[in-house]
Amino acid sequence: MQHQIEFGPAFAWLKVQLAPNETIQAEAGAMVRHTPGLQIDTRLNAGRNAGIGAKIKAFFAAFARKFLGGETMFVNDFHGPQGGEVVLAPGTSGQIMHQVLDGQRKLFIQASAYLASTGSVDTKLRFGGLKSMFGGEGLVLQECTGQGDVWINSYGGISEVPINGTFVVDTGHIVAFEGNNLNFKVRSAGSGGGGFSLKSFLFSGEGLVCEFSGTGRVWIQSRNLNALVSWITPFLR
Amino acid sequence: MEFHVLYRPAHSLAVCNLNPNETIRAEAGAMVSMTRNINVVAAAKNPGEGGLKSLFKGLKRMALGGESFFTNTYTAMNQPGHVTFAPSLTGDMIVHNLQGETLLIQGSSYVAAPDSVTIDTKFQGFKGLFSGESLFFLSASGHGPVLMNAFGAIETIDLNGEMIVDTGHIVAFTSGIKYSVVKATKGLISSFLSGEGLVLRMQGQGRMYVQSRNPSEFGATVGRMLPPREN
Amino acid sequence: MQHQLIDTPDFGMLQITFDQPGEKIVSEAGAMVAMDTAIQMQTAMRGGLMAAAKRKLLGGESLFQNTFTSTAPGQRLFLSPGPEGDLRAMNLAPGQNFFLQSGAYVAHVGEQMVLDTKFGGVKGFFGGVGLFMLKVTGPGTVYYSAYGALHEIDVPPEGYTVDNAHLVGFTEGLTFNVRKFGGFKGLFFSGEGLVCDFQGQGRVFLQTRNAGSLAAFLHPYRAVKAKG
Repeated sequence: MQHQIEFGPAFAWLKVQLAPNETIQAEAGAMVRHTPGLQIDTRLNAGRNAGIGAKIKAFFAAFARKFLGGETMFVNDFHGPQGGEVVLAPGTSGQIMHQVLDGQRKLFIQASAYLASTGSVDTKLRFGGLKSMFGGEGLVLQECTGQGDVWINSYGGISEVPINGTFVVDTGHIVAFEGNNLNFKVRSAGSGGGGFSLKSFLFSGEGLVCEFSGTGRVWIQSRNLNALVSWITPFLR
Repeated sequence: MEFHVLYRPAHSLAVCNLNPNETIRAEAGAMVSMTRNINVVAAAKNPGEGGLKSLFKGLKRMALGGESFFTNTYTAMNQPGHVTFAPSLTGDMIVHNLQGETLLIQGSSYVAAPDSVTIDTKFQGFKGLFSGESLFFLSASGHGPVLMNAFGAIETIDLNGEMIVDTGHIVAFTSGIKYSVVKATKGLISSFLSGEGLVLRMQGQGRMYVQSRNPSEFGATVGRMLPPREN
Repeated sequence: MQHQLIDTPDFGMLQITFDQPGEKIVSEAGAMVAMDTAIQMQTAMRGGLMAAAKRKLLGGESLFQNTFTSTAPGQRLFLSPGPEGDLRAMNLAPGQNFFLQSGAYVAHVGEQMVLDTKFGGVKGFFGGVGLFMLKVTGPGTVYYSAYGALHEIDVPPEGYTVDNAHLVGFTEGLTFNVRKFGGFKGLFFSGEGLVCDFQGQGRVFLQTRNAGSLAAFLHPYRAVKAKG
């Protein structure tokens, strides 16, 4: 398989050349164009080793999310007996980052940042609470393990920030993070450094933040859909 | 006249330099700035057409979610001048120089052209089963530059054969290419769940422009986060 | 403190690295992307309740601004605006003025910098969408953003005309005249059809996208209110 990321940093898309019977898995809706010899198989992304109970739960969650808004958990497998070329793109403007999982790494990706993967990369959904399951504020993460390539997209540019201590990131700006000793906790922006401040919580304009502690690294994106919504709302009719 | 596009690909701005008394016709809402000697006239029809017929055409275009009904003509009076244009969404702009062929342009991608190019809004396209699936093309023929915009970056492909393209990602293609609408995957339900829905099978020989983002997908993602509207 | 403009011109983001404890930067509410936890964030009503209320009533500026104060050297703070586009810094000398569209303000450094929301001569620029012209006076540094790219024009002797929805700011020394545009300006949203004719010696800053057009594009994708 060969792959190229083109048109970055503003409108990156992923171009992949597949060998015969090679497969790439991509999030639903990502396909831009493909050569005629490839076929698309759609399936539920419930995790490779999910039992029937987990599969049913994932199926209902996926359907609920599809209709109530938010990430779907359906993925498409692209493959063909002669191989071919497929181009994949995310929904918002921004970059695409390529990471290789070697079987040891555990990478957490913000669910909307997952674009595609290959090999035996496995993704497990983690919700930061019931509200976030339906696309509201909060963190919906894909925990990625296994071996293979993962492509991650951002809204905006991607900056890697090393963490050694404590670091706070607005949840809408998180692309991905990893670290063997990294802990994270979702809280409101105003409730830090000196206790909870009601004034800050209500008026600071900041929503939920994720507080990291330990050692590791976080990738942040320079734009945030919630901030775009706040900005455009006064212009709506 | 000549165009050059600045700040490609994300925040592109097209500068149209006009010779004295030259005119460019552009979609309403596209103008960003202009020199003081530009005379602007609102026009609600294509040149050479009668009033009522073109009114219907324009309203049809509007109803199909393509171009807005209104265009403006900009003329540089007596001296050279320039007008700058920008589209609604972030993305690239490109100029296709028509030399007698016909170019089919996805409705919301057309920005501007001089009167030597004929824009025909006879309906071509389809309304798919799922919301956001409709596609509307207008045709541009004649001689001269056609300014188009895209959501995302623009990939220029010289096609000789066949390619499957997602409906939301097609910008424009020359008339040597034929398109047919097909299901993305084998089944209907899986086409819906795959997120691809209906796709275009492009066949033939000619030039094709593809954009690297899908406006309906972006619209749906942000739209569902916005407060509801009255109508 | 040091500043770095990251991801420009497409998604400009400001990274501040504080050198000493006690250093301050003020920003628009909602601009914080990430920061070291120990930085103090205080939400304040700048200028007191009346001034802040005046800003809110005149539209645009949110009522509250955040002041970030460092507590140790080397702390990092990342700030970004809502829309995609460029982000720049402008240093103003004492008494030097810069006129900035209120939505374009991101942050400023300098306790003596003055942000004036009400000064003669610049009313009715943006036709009621809640934006207005901010007059920024140095000394200090102001960080401002654009929706789209920032396009700078040195006003030629015969003058220049700009669509107001694309106006980010302009330097002092220019005269301006706001009027209605002679053609159609889009059906509903594109800045009410207001343009501005500039004359004189100075520079005009434009953004290559406008919020009204984006709002019009998003309109059909919004849910329709249920009729009761």
